[in-house]
Amino acid sequence: MIQLTIFYIFAAVLLVAATVVITSRNPVYSALFLVLCFFTSSALWLLAEAEFLGIALVLVYVGAVMVLFLFVVMMLDINLAPMREGFARYLPVGLGVGAVMVAEMALVVGSSSAEFAEGAIASTVVEGGDSNNVRLLGNVIYTKYVFQFEVAAVVLLVAIIAAIMLTLRRRGGTKHQEVAEQVAVHKADRLRLVRDPRGKHDNQ
Amino acid sequence: MIELWHYLVLAAILFGIGVAGIFLNRKNILVLLMSIELMLLAVNFNFIAFSQAVNNLDGQIFVFFILTVAAAESAIGLAILVVLFRNRGTINVGDLNSMKG
Amino acid sequence: MTEMPAFSLAVPEIWLLSMACVVLVVDLFFPGREHAPAFYLSQLTLVGAGWLALDAHWGMDEVTFSGTYIADSLSGLLKASVAGLAFVVFGYARDYLRQFDLLQSEFFLIGLFAVLGMFVMASAHNMLSLYLGLELLSLSLYTLVAYDRDSWRGSEAAMKYFVLGALSSGMMLYGMSMIYGASGSLDLAEIAAAAAAPDQGGVLMAFGLVFVFVGVAFKFGAVPFHMWIPDVYQGASTPSALFVATAPKVAAIALFIRLMEGGLGNLFSHWQDMAIILAVASLVVGNLMALVQTNIKRLLGYSAISHIGFLFVGFAAGSPEGYAAVTFYAITYAITTAAAFGVVMLLSRRGFEAESIDDMRGLMQRHGGFAVVMIIVMFSLTGIPPTVGFYAKWLVLQAAINAGLVWLAVVAVFAAVVGAFYYLRILKAVCFDSPDEQTPALQATASMRVLLAVNGAVVLAAGIFPDTLVAACRAAFGLA
Repeated sequence: MIQLTIFYIFAAVLLVAATVVITSRNPVYSALFLVLCFFTSSALWLLAEAEFLGIALVLVYVGAVMVLFLFVVMMLDINLAPMREGFARYLPVGLGVGAVMVAEMALVVGSSSAEFAEGAIASTVVEGGDSNNVRLLGNVIYTKYVFQFEVAAVVLLVAIIAAIMLTLRRRGGTKHQEVAEQVAVHKADRLRLVRDPRGKHDNQ
Repeated sequence: MIELWHYLVLAAILFGIGVAGIFLNRKNILVLLMSIELMLLAVNFNFIAFSQAVNNLDGQIFVFFILTVAAAESAIGLAILVVLFRNRGTINVGDLNSMKG
Repeated sequence: MTEMPAFSLAVPEIWLLSMACVVLVVDLFFPGREHAPAFYLSQLTLVGAGWLALDAHWGMDEVTFSGTYIADSLSGLLKASVAGLAFVVFGYARDYLRQFDLLQSEFFLIGLFAVLGMFVMASAHNMLSLYLGLELLSLSLYTLVAYDRDSWRGSEAAMKYFVLGALSSGMMLYGMSMIYGASGSLDLAEIAAAAAAPDQGGVLMAFGLVFVFVGVAFKFGAVPFHMWIPDVYQGASTPSALFVATAPKVAAIALFIRLMEGGLGNLFSHWQDMAIILAVASLVVGNLMALVQTNIKRLLGYSAISHIGFLFVGFAAGSPEGYAAVTFYAITYAITTAAAFGVVMLLSRRGFEAESIDDMRGLMQRHGGFAVVMIIVMFSLTGIPPTVGFYAKWLVLQAAINAGLVWLAVVAVFAAVVGAFYYLRILKAVCFDSPDEQTPALQATASMRVLLAVNGAVVLAAGIFPDTLVAACRAAFGLA
């Protein structure tokens, strides 16, 4: 019962936050409410016994992806004034499409969830009483899905190459360190011994 | 007790919000990209809920990979957005109309 | 515990990935302006990958990596075709990129990763593999479309392609989650078994099917999910458009066969109607819109949509015969399109894109040889014998009629007749219009000219002697 109450609270927060994401005038607000979405989703996933994914969602999305979004928002210096133009015009279409899809899905879900004999969600704990979600996932990822794991690594590599290729510009006149030169420097390059012309013991 | 349909309905509404966001935001591609993230989040809810219902881990594995790919996807999407902004000085969807017919 | 996977079956992917990493590093140490080491290594990689795929997969029927990877004749054939097409694309692209000061090794590198994604798709025996391969391909393609980053239209096309592609991926994933919920597995064989038993999760399965089908149609670019195709063809720099137009079409066949036939083939009666609707809409819209185009690249985009309509005619037949015909169609169409883009690239020169139909005027008088290539290509796209396009259309129509879809075949023939108008309009410009006075000489290198001539000859030869490729396509689907 308490689980259900928690579920409803988090679900309500999630849906309100998601609505703000798509209706907010300011993309910074959108991004911050998307962060809220991810946090509440993470809590809901913990309820569904997907502990590792819940943590990973916070680490990957809130920690990396949303920071990237905010970084781009700041970098682009967007003019906010005309953002909402056309919003009212597309509101009926957008709401209509969204509502129809939700209704259809709810219908399907309602009619077919009875087909699952358990009804209540079963537990993913397997035999042996090992309920460590991370270990269970790791066992599968590095054995059954090792090929897919490698492909996912390639996807990330492509993302790195693509992002650098598309956005890196070499401009003249930028100041940057030449680490190799700094390391390879000799004493003679930087230090010159000068004999003080005023003699040896001036200070005394 | 939380049942399967709780999660599925929640995911369906979230997916609907994401799709509606794509139709609503004709002025700002950034929010469009965020709507896509919402859709993927809804899909993840489905997989996690089904993963429990059918009692195997494959669904959670799929979510793991969706998270990975979606991160890569947003990196590339934002890179393209930056390129577009450098060329155009705008990220207004309505201005993307140089090709017609 | 899972047993050790049979790595020897996955040797094409292993080779491709290792060599892509080698190319990445080699170009760091030998950059140069020509990027010759990276280019030649990429081409070597593709030749090797195609050969390895045929060698390791042809005639096999084995599943490994815990049932997630399949090696059969179909995967061998598709992989070899994809590698061959990418080889041709790279050959055309290098010349063009050099002329437009766009030559970077990243074009070939990202292209190799795209090929890897298509390989993964061709061997996918699991929804997860299919999704990852598809995303690897899609992410690479988005990047290639945005490759010319100072291009006003290129970045716009890339953004549109990205948003629509991500939307379609989301749709497909939602469908996959439903199918997973209904069948309790990601394995395509187990999904097929679950789909055969109608009592289990029937509604959920059918609902997921619709979403997955929409996602697949988006990736193909079938009407009404075609919006990205004309913009990408027109907006992307020509080598990128060429890449998008060729190999991924063959990979899309893999996506359809593995998912719709392998996984959801038992629900054929559910998706046949959707395939028919998409086929008719694509044939009609593609051909009608192409009639009014003046930009050749955009025209080829709409023409691609109409050819996708033909592919869906074959899918709607739903028989191994139809799938074999569709595979043959996609491979030969990709070869033909490569030659069409090749002519556009041949006529382009620094600062000038020969993308208007007017730029083709008097090609016959200027460069008779390449005009002949263009004539062969246009004949093939129209479907006039003895080119290969005729034979491909013939096979698809035959499959449709054998499946009892006579009216659909009639619609397809009518659409092809309408299509003949715009292809002939290009031919009129090539053969009968007089050239502009101040067109300068071609700047294309000898290698590009040879490649284009060979490409044209292949289009003709494959039409006169189609038996080998047809037999290969039929063998891939277990037909004698």
